[in-house]
Order: sequence, then structure tokens, then C-alpha cells
Amino acid sequence: MNRSRRTFGGLQPLLLGFGFALLVAISVATVMLVQRASNDAQLIAQTLSEQNMLSDLLLSMRRAESSQRGYLFTQNDAYLDEFRESEPVAKKLVDQLQDLAKGNAARLTVLDRVSDLVDTKFAEMNKTIALDKAGDHDKARAEVLDNSGRILMARLRAVIEDAIAGEGKVADERSALSRQTNTMLLIVTLVGAGLIVLIGFASLVLVQRNYRRAEAARQELADTNANLERIVEYRTADLTEANEEIQRFAYIVSHDLRSPLVNVMGFTSELEALRKDIFAHVETLTARLADLDRAAAETETTSETDKLRQYGADFDEAIRFIKTSIANMDRLINAVLKLSREGRRQFRPEVIDMNALLDTIGQNVGHRAAEMDATITLHPLPEVESDRLALEQIFSNLVDNALKYSRPGVPPTLDVSGSATATDVTYQVKDNGRGIGADDHQRVFELFRRSGRQDQPGEGIGLAHVRALVRRLGGTITLSSELEQGSIFTIRLPRWWSAGTRSAA
Amino acid sequence: MNSQFAERPVEIVMIEDDEGHARLIEKNIRRAGVNNPIMSFANGTEAINYLFGADGSGFVNKGKPLLILLDLNLPDMTGIEILGRVKTNEHLKRIPVVVLTTTDDAVEIQRCYDLGCNVYITKPVNYENFANAIRQLGLFFSVIQVPATE
Repeated sequence: MNRSRRTFGGLQPLLLGFGFALLVAISVATVMLVQRASNDAQLIAQTLSEQNMLSDLLLSMRRAESSQRGYLFTQNDAYLDEFRESEPVAKKLVDQLQDLAKGNAARLTVLDRVSDLVDTKFAEMNKTIALDKAGDHDKARAEVLDNSGRILMARLRAVIEDAIAGEGKVADERSALSRQTNTMLLIVTLVGAGLIVLIGFASLVLVQRNYRRAEAARQELADTNANLERIVEYRTADLTEANEEIQRFAYIVSHDLRSPLVNVMGFTSELEALRKDIFAHVETLTARLADLDRAAAETETTSETDKLRQYGADFDEAIRFIKTSIANMDRLINAVLKLSREGRRQFRPEVIDMNALLDTIGQNVGHRAAEMDATITLHPLPEVESDRLALEQIFSNLVDNALKYSRPGVPPTLDVSGSATATDVTYQVKDNGRGIGADDHQRVFELFRRSGRQDQPGEGIGLAHVRALVRRLGGTITLSSELEQGSIFTIRLPRWWSAGTRSAA
Repeated sequence: MNSQFAERPVEIVMIEDDEGHARLIEKNIRRAGVNNPIMSFANGTEAINYLFGADGSGFVNKGKPLLILLDLNLPDMTGIEILGRVKTNEHLKRIPVVVLTTTDDAVEIQRCYDLGCNVYITKPVNYENFANAIRQLGLFFSVIQVPATE
């Protein structure tokens, strides 16, 4: 799935780039072709206007000739008006035509001939008119009859018609070219449009496919998330239930263990009482026996008394061991019971001034601290929303431990500091005591486990209790310590109480 | 311990499943100088049969001065059930009931008093304290006035 997605991901920009390039190409081609078409149109227009001008020229010449002939025929000056108008018109047309044909040698030659013929024709006509005006009618007529004017005219006509025909051919060629250009333009536009549509369609398909894939992936993710949440919920419920079960179990076990223990203790006491009675009785009997048998008594009484004393000592030893063991067991069971009871206690969250709380704890141990020459330093501590009793127990235990496990000969120093983030508060309890070896960092938090020299009284429940409480408050406790280097206990707690704070732990 | 109304000595009905406890309780009560007869039952069914009789009406014990020493943790039923039945029986309801048990759960204690228990004592775990408590209870028994059942 990953690979195909990558292919599609590469194909799409490629398609887009291709489409863009195509668009540019079409635009360029179109612009070029349009330019060409307009050029063609201009050329055609020019050709047509040249044809027109040539026709006009021929017409002017004919008008000039007919007006010349009219004048020669009637000697009426009015006929000459048109002739006089025609001459500059014809000259001007020739000039214009020559202007337009600049750069085209073949055309210029033709036009030069036209120009010559026009000039020659006007010269001939002017001559006849001048002869006639001078009164020499016959000579003028002879000039006309000479046919040279007519031939001139015929040649002019032939040349101009040739030129017009030539222009026509050029125009045909140009219009053919123009049509071709237009056709090409059409084809390019159509093909381009078709390709664009095709690319657009392909892009659309791709986009749609990608969208569908993304949608499917999103759906899958949402499903997984929901699933995960459900799993977490189940697990949490399971853990909470298991935890409650363990606490119930601990409570029941510790509770039910006490009953037989009371019996053991009770009957041990009964035995002890019985022992006194028995031994007293045996002593009386021995004394009575000695009274009865004086002879035997001389030899036996001392050894009997010794034996009796020995029995008594053995009995007492046995009873003593039983009693101390019972007392130990009783303490352990009480510890478990206390822990399980703590686990069942409902927390009452409130905002707690930790400075005041630690101050009170410091005062509580003040007497002992003074005796040990201990220094307790309290830095400003952030407040926290949590359970007061639990925090009191936690910090009392830690402070107590710090004083209890000092290094011999070194006055204990104790340093409590804290910091806060938006969500958490962290407190550090630092001492200069005997420290805890790295191997025991986890063990000290376990129930009934202690570390280092066992020269202080205790059951090994303090830190277990502390950790259980911290966990129930939704926090963590960590230890950093080295032997003979002091210890730092770091407690992190959520700054604000929430329903979820009470973790399953 | 005497009954105010009848000249018969008060009989102590002890319902305690742990025989050792029962024996220790008896011994320590005797040490306090209480010589009243003690009927001991190790389970609820036998105790119920004794208290309520074969017909289950409690009529058998009518007019008899009784005092019940009750443990809550019994193998076949809870002491609370027995307490409830005794205190709702017209013949037995005036019998003083002393609950003597290991449970010190506040809710449990409340419930017992609500049901009409007269004294609730938590068995001390430590034997010395246990023996002490029982002896004091014995002294208490020696001065208490017990009405006859009706």
C-alpha cells in the first residue's frame, strides 16, 4: 500500500507538470499562429488593395484617354477637366504602388514599366492636346491616328492586367496559406483542449483515488484509536478490579490470620501459667518425697533440683521463642492490615500549602532532630491539590527515614525543595545519610524489605506505604542514592486533582 | 450475674466458631469470677436451633434470662443475621447481645447497633489485651442486670 501510494504521489505532480507544459505549448503555438494569420490577412489585404490600385490606375488612364479624345473631337475645354484630374491621380497611384512594392524586385520592374508606359502615354496625350490647342488640329489628329497612343494604351493595359493577374495569384497563395494557418490553429487548439481535458480527467481520477485511500486510512486510524481506547478502558477496569481484589485479599488474609494467632498467643500464655503451677507442684512433691525418704534425699535431691532447673530453663526458652515469633508475626500482619486499610481509604482532595505541611512535620520531629544535631532546611514549595493525610504520611515517613538512617558521627542534614510545571509538581527530599546501594533501589520500596545495616528498629513497611500512597495519588516516586552518599527521594504528583488521578495502583 | 425478675442465674450463650477463642473467652470470663453457665456453639445453625427451639418461635426460651456473646464471622451464616433474628423475635428481643468479633469496620459496627446490638467489642489482636478485654467483659457481666425473656 505504501509503495503504490508513493507511485501515485509521484504521478500526480508529473501529470500536473505535463499539463502545464502542454498549456504553455498550446498558448505559444496559438499566439504564433494567430500572429501568422494576422500577417497573412494583412498580406492578403495588401494584395487586394494593390489589385484595386492597379485597376484604378487603368481606369484613370482610360478616363484620361477618353477625355483627351473627347477634347480632340470637340475642342471643348470641358472635356479636359477629367484629363487634368486623372494625371495626378495616376501618378500618385504609381508612386503608391512603387512604395508598396519596395523590396520586391520583380514587382518593381513591372511597376517601372507601368510607370514608364504611364509617363509615355501622358506625354503622348499632352502632346496631342498641346498641338490641338496651338491650333494644329490635323497634326494632333494625325498623332492620334498614328495609333501609337492606342498601342501604348494596349500595352499598358496588358502590363497592368498581367500585374493584376499576378497579384491575384499571390492573393490566392496567401489566402491558401492563411486557411492552412487557421486550420492548424484549430487543430492545435482542439488537440490541446482534448489533452487538457484528458489530463484533468486523469488528475480527477487520481485525486479521487487518493482521497478514497486517505479516507480509508483515516477511518482505519479512527477505528484503531477507538479500539485502543476501549482496550485501555478494559485494562484499566481489569487492573482496578484486580487491585481491589488484592486489597480485599490482603484485608481478609491479615484479618483471618489474626484469629489463630490470638489462639496461639492465648494458649502459650496458658502454658506459661500452667508451667508455674506444674513446677510449683513438682517442687512440693519433691520436698514431700525428701521428707519421706531422708536417706535417698541425701544423694538425689540436689540432682533432682538441678534437673528441674534445667527443665524450667528449656521450657522458658521455648516459650520465649514462641512469644517473640508471635510478636513478629503480629507486627507483620498488622502492617499488612494497615496497608490494606490505607488502600481502602477515600481521598479528600484539597489545595495544600506544602510549606505549612512540611513545617508541621519538621516541628513534630524537632525534639529528635535537636538531639541529633540535625539541620532541616525547607525551601519554598509549590502548593498542590491532593489528599492532606496521604501527603503528611508520605513526607513524615521520608523525613523520619532521613533522621533514622543517618551516618554515624555525621549530623544529619535534610533538604526539602520543590518545583512546579503546568501539570505536575515535584518535591525532593535530600539527606546526607548512609544512602542506599544501587541494587536496593527497587527493593527498599517493597513490603518487609530493608536495606543496609539492620541497626534500627522497623518492619520495612515505611517506603512500601509511601510508594503505595504516591501511586494512589497518581504520582511517582524515584530514588537516587549511593552508599554513604546520602539519598534523594523525588516525588512527582499531578498538580491538580482529577477524577482520573486515582490510578489503579 | 442475676436476673432482676427471675431468681434463675443468667445463662451465657456463646456463638463462636473458633474453638480456641471460645475456650480462651470462657477461661478469662471465669477468671473474672463469673460462674454462670455457658452454652457454647461453634456455628450459627446450632445456635439458632437452641435459641429459637424446634418450632423456630423462640418460645422455648420464654422467661429464661439469657445473654448472647456473638461472633460475626461464622462458617454457615453471619452473626448479623442471627442478631437481626434475635432482635426481631418477640420472645428474644430483650436478650442483651454482645458482639465480640475481629471486624472493626465502622460500617459493620453501625449496622450492628442499628440492628439492636447492645455492646460491640473488637477482639484485640494482642493476646494480653484480648485477655484483659474478656476479663473486663466478665466483670461487666458480673454487675449487669439481665431481663428475663417474655
